[in-house]
Amino acid sequence: MPDLSYLPQIALSGIAVGCIYGLIGIGFCVIYNASGIVNFAQGAFVMMGGMIAYSVLNTLGLPLPIAAAVTIVAVAAAGVAIERVVVRPLWDRKATMFVMILATLAAQIVIERLALIVAGDQPKTLPQFTDLPPIRLGVVVISYQFLWIVGVSLLLIVLLGQFFKRTKAGKAMRACAFNREAASLQGINVSRMLALSFALSAALGAVAGVLITPTQYTAFNVGVPFAISGFIAAIVGGFGRPLGAFMGGIMLGLTQSMAIVAFGAGLKNVAALSVLLIFLFIRPGGILGEAK
Amino acid sequence: MTPVLEVRQLSARYGRVEALHEISLSVADGEFVAVLGPNGAGKSTLMRAIMGLIANSGAVSFRGAVLPRQSPDTCVARGVVLVPEGRGIFAPMTVAENLELGAYLLNDADEFERRRTRVFDLFPRLRERLGQIAGSLSGGEQQMLAVGRALMANPKILLLDEPSLGLAPKVTDEILGTLALLNKGGLPIVLVEQKAPLALRLTSRAYLLSVGRLVAEIDPRTITSHDELARYYLS
Ligand SMILES: Nc1ncnc2c1ncn2[C@@H]1O[C@H](COP(=O)(O)OP(=O)(O)OP(=O)(O)O)[C@@H](O)[C@H]1O
Ligand SMILES: [Mg+2]
Repeated sequence: MPDLSYLPQIALSGIAVGCIYGLIGIGFCVIYNASGIVNFAQGAFVMMGGMIAYSVLNTLGLPLPIAAAVTIVAVAAAGVAIERVVVRPLWDRKATMFVMILATLAAQIVIERLALIVAGDQPKTLPQFTDLPPIRLGVVVISYQFLWIVGVSLLLIVLLGQFFKRTKAGKAMRACAFNREAASLQGINVSRMLALSFALSAALGAVAGVLITPTQYTAFNVGVPFAISGFIAAIVGGFGRPLGAFMGGIMLGLTQSMAIVAFGAGLKNVAALSVLLIFLFIRPGGILGEAK
Repeated sequence: MTPVLEVRQLSARYGRVEALHEISLSVADGEFVAVLGPNGAGKSTLMRAIMGLIANSGAVSFRGAVLPRQSPDTCVARGVVLVPEGRGIFAPMTVAENLELGAYLLNDADEFERRRTRVFDLFPRLRERLGQIAGSLSGGEQQMLAVGRALMANPKILLLDEPSLGLAPKVTDEILGTLALLNKGGLPIVLVEQKAPLALRLTSRAYLLSVGRLVAEIDPRTITSHDELARYYLS
């Protein structure tokens, strides 16, 4: 029987990593809504987030906030590049969803191998954003990085909500999500929306990567596990629903961290996949029900 | 009179099935033209091909300029606007948002208000429903929204694909009446209808489509009885 007094502490770490899964899950939703494409290169954005931030910080010696900003812009550009080079040609040929999944997965692997060649196989990490001793609240210890992760994630969700609700581009993306053909009949350039959705998702992935790296590490091969977790978060949330994906991410993070304590780290992914299976059995529409 | 919209040898297919075979037609300035034909004749396919929503071969030009063959947003930018079959409103969004999206290419707040006021003059009910979710409107109101949204793009020619579909006769009359009014104001209109008598009351000319081909061009004034029309359908 594990010591239950650890439970709140474990829950906190589950929430932190859950926010990250949630951001990645939202990235899946944004692209899916704009285009019906499931983009498995999503994990590459997270990996690039950590790796590029590390290089910018250490080789260019820029301060962390600037390094983070440079990273997010660079990864968003990479997202648009993937859209142009990999997705657009297939999209124009009306490729099926399976072809898209395979193609984006292939892009993920290519990026992963390029990162290995360029940056080597040594894991890298980033400094904590705020270099202060953690806050103690009774039995729980709250690190500043935890606050950064949760705070930035919530902020992004609010901003994203405002983007979809208030801006013209956001409304156009929602229109595309509901009915692409009708959207194009309003003069909306649907393929430009596709590029925008890739930029947005990539930026979200980069933020996730920059946020999480100080608490663990990053390496060329962290992308796929993150993509899988984010994908599960999106499914659990009801694919295509950003808020659901975020809730799904937190649920997944909590389940994983509990499972690590109860059964050992080796069973973390078993727990994740169990959550997915249970959801597919009892509530295939996800927490919030299927989009559309 | 020189045509504003000219369709030449337009063909389109779904997979291996040819749904539209070398259609040529034209619409003159200020004209109100009907496209008639039974179920599955290819009327919607023709509209979709004109807008570039599906792959097609042939040429469509508007006011002398050739429209790109697979770019609906360019067609809208040039003033060719379609109210699609089934209306295509954005059901989870509000009426106001739907109208805003209709004016997607416009970046001028004053002009936006002018257009919206004109739409409200034509469909006062939309003003009352502004904050409502579009999917919760009645069928008639949704069709008014679809037409109103198309007008927000300030069309130079308006295409409508069976706006009467699923509507009560009274609402249909109201909407067709509005179209007649718009046409009197100089807007060329192409109206797709299955119910020929309805369309022939309003239009100055009609094209008859059957299994993907243009089979006749009808002058409504010469059609005086149902039987005559039936003969067209059967021949
Ligand atoms: N998405 C599609 N895939 C395959 N075939 C299609 C598709 N849409 C239409 N068709 C076929 O193309 C032909 C023309 O269809 P279209 O919808 O243009 O007819 P229509 O004249 O608009 O009919 P209706 O009056 O019922 O709306 C039909 O034979 C139809 O079965
Ligand atoms: Mg039709």
